[in-house]
Amino acid sequence: MARKPQENPALDMTPMIDVVFELIIFFVVTIKQEDLFSQLNANRPAPATGKSESSESDTTVTIAIGASGDRSANGVLVYNSREITRKELDANLRDVARTSTKTPIIVRCAGNSPHKALVDVLDICYKHKLFSVSIFTM
Amino acid sequence: MARKSQENPALDMTPMIDVVFELIIFFVVTLTEAQRKDETIELEDGQHGIVLVPENLPPTHMQIDIASRDKDGRPLKKGRISMGDREITPDEIGRRVKEKYRKIGEFPILIRADYDVKHEVVARVMNACTENGIWKISFMAVAEDKTSKPGRPGRPHLSRVRKAR
Repeated sequence: MARKPQENPALDMTPMIDVVFELIIFFVVTIKQEDLFSQLNANRPAPATGKSESSESDTTVTIAIGASGDRSANGVLVYNSREITRKELDANLRDVARTSTKTPIIVRCAGNSPHKALVDVLDICYKHKLFSVSIFTM
Repeated sequence: MARKSQENPALDMTPMIDVVFELIIFFVVTLTEAQRKDETIELEDGQHGIVLVPENLPPTHMQIDIASRDKDGRPLKKGRISMGDREITPDEIGRRVKEKYRKIGEFPILIRADYDVKHEVVARVMNACTENGIWKISFMAVAEDKTSKPGRPGRPHLSRVRKAR
């Protein structure tokens, strides 16, 4: 009985079941997809120096964010003292970026505006490769 | 030769390898579970940001979570600021930033804030950082949406956004 005969009728299923379980676990683990995250960088002005106001050049673009009056939680964007939609801001910033992508952008946020609006604005800035964004809080 | 001798030099490794694989998979799964943080935070979409690979973040970075709800989903006016799994006050963030800044100089700060949180809460956290030497702040957003449910209020699902373009 040194070797089992080749035509063994009782085939050992254990390793196969092991492998199948292993495969099941592998697929269960890998199939679960995670969100892919991105990172939006911004600068903060120095607190209480007050000179940033005067150092703003003519080319600086200022975008204000306020809370929306209704409960939609989207926030309101103000550009060139006019209320605009995200699509309009997108078009405006495209023009800005065409002149120079180094244009400094200043985002002024009202305290009660939703964070969502700020991320939206930062995202639009990044879309047009405008990377020098500063965030002020009103 | 009905039984193999006890001191068989060729030990069968197969079951041991099986068990080891099982253990590896177990730890990989539990580790990714443990890394998942505050589930109440829903991030805003930001498809144009720099893609964030958690493994590529420098180990010195500091992540601050800001939720707009408590763990049971009730909205909170002042938000809920936490680091790791522990709730934290802006003052404490300031102290930690100061200490870390003194030790290693500049380091990245990543704010993972809920889309619905009020800006003043975020501003409080940012101020705690700037007052202690860190001017650059990064915000986390969703580049590609795979897990969150479509139709969240105020947030068009990405697939719809892509189609509209």
